[in-house]
Amino acid sequence: MTTNGDVLIKVDDVHKVYNKKLHALNGVSNEIRKGEVVVIIGPSGSGKSTFLRSLNLLEVPTTGHIYFEGTDITSKKTDIDKHRQKMGMVFQHFNLFPHKTILDNITLAPMKLLGKSKEEAQKRGMELLRLVGLEEKANGYPSQLSGGQKQRIAIVRSLAMDPDVMLFDEPTSALDPEMVGEVLELMKKLAHDGMTMVVVTHEMGFAKEVGTRCIFMDEGQIKEEGAPEEFFDHPTEPRLQDFLSKVL
Amino acid sequence: MANFQDKFILNFITDNRWHYIWNGLLTTLQITFFAVLLGITLGFLIAIVRSTHDKTGRMKIGNVICNIYITVIRGTPVVVQLMIIYYVVFSSVDINKVIVAILAFGMNSGAYVAEIFRSGIMSVDQGQFEAGRSLGFNYRQTMIHIITPQAFKNVLPALGNEFIVLLKETSVSGYIAMQDLTKGGDIIRSRTFDAFMPLIAVAIIYLVMVMIFSKLVSMLERRLRNSDH
Repeated sequence: MTTNGDVLIKVDDVHKVYNKKLHALNGVSNEIRKGEVVVIIGPSGSGKSTFLRSLNLLEVPTTGHIYFEGTDITSKKTDIDKHRQKMGMVFQHFNLFPHKTILDNITLAPMKLLGKSKEEAQKRGMELLRLVGLEEKANGYPSQLSGGQKQRIAIVRSLAMDPDVMLFDEPTSALDPEMVGEVLELMKKLAHDGMTMVVVTHEMGFAKEVGTRCIFMDEGQIKEEGAPEEFFDHPTEPRLQDFLSKVL
Repeated sequence: MANFQDKFILNFITDNRWHYIWNGLLTTLQITFFAVLLGITLGFLIAIVRSTHDKTGRMKIGNVICNIYITVIRGTPVVVQLMIIYYVVFSSVDINKVIVAILAFGMNSGAYVAEIFRSGIMSVDQGQFEAGRSLGFNYRQTMIHIITPQAFKNVLPALGNEFIVLLKETSVSGYIAMQDLTKGGDIIRSRTFDAFMPLIAVAIIYLVMVMIFSKLVSMLERRLRNSDH
């Protein structure tokens, strides 16, 4: 592995079973270290989204443990809301709050959860909007934005909480092709600035270029993982070879 | 025309008969206003319990109680409920009839409002809920800041409709001998033996109230809609 940072998230033998028979996750263990950009790929139904969503407990594992910054967040005693503040999440369908202005989307959580004053939160919000070049949209509403702009705002909304890790659940899958680039650019910038990221994606170019580690999932298990060069150029697992031959 | 004038004077001016209409109108408005408040409060609480159960599986007992409440209230006519509350529940208590009517219509409306609110909450995309939770909001904060404002906007037309129904339903208050607007018109009819003028007057007053109310709701709707261009 390319980085030797501290372990940020530790996943220990996680299973997720729906309705007592559908095994979405079938014994997944992994460690995500500070500064890593982990890219998860795999066919649909492989459990990659379930895995990502279990990292911040949007999906609660049936068995197994997940530790975030040393705390077992799967424990019933853990206040998961506190830990989620440190784990940003970006969704396929953006999920911006349509009843709030762009700026309010960004400042809501810092004000209500971190106790920031309105001025403070708005100052930071405008800084972040400048970062993505959308400061003139501050007082508009999400419905006035293009898909790519929406996703950039969704990323910025998460960043406003100063998270320690960002989780991306197929962030470009719902975008028109010409808008994929602007979102990937922003993600690249984040990675470059040292943000720890876990990304479920179909963008193989991004995985190769930005990923520090790639994970291939199939049938609810991690079938292969490694540095991008190895992973893409010399895959050992036949299912990964087959998958890559179809998507590359 | 002279005939019309005579009838008008007979029905509304003689013996100050317009008082029946005016006082009845005040009673109707009073009942409606407080019943709406009670209905919204009750409906909101029930909707929160029911949708929390739908979403998380918690509050099982609360959900059962709310379900029974909704089933009973929606399954029986409001006028029967009104009479049960007055003649059965408060039979041995000397109680202001206006309060009885507010209780009856408010509790009745609450059951309908509950289902309206619940449908509004369930109609907000699950992704909104997940976005809130993933930022670190707890269930209650997510409901307050993210879900209910959108739910309210979605159900405003249905809610407006429910209050129009409530306003007109109070016209059965006469069953417990209350002198509301409808009863006022009816009393005049029984005094003057002219059905046309007092009843049409009453109908027009209801119509005007509903039209004003509809206008207010659509103005509010337009204001809330400023976020979807």
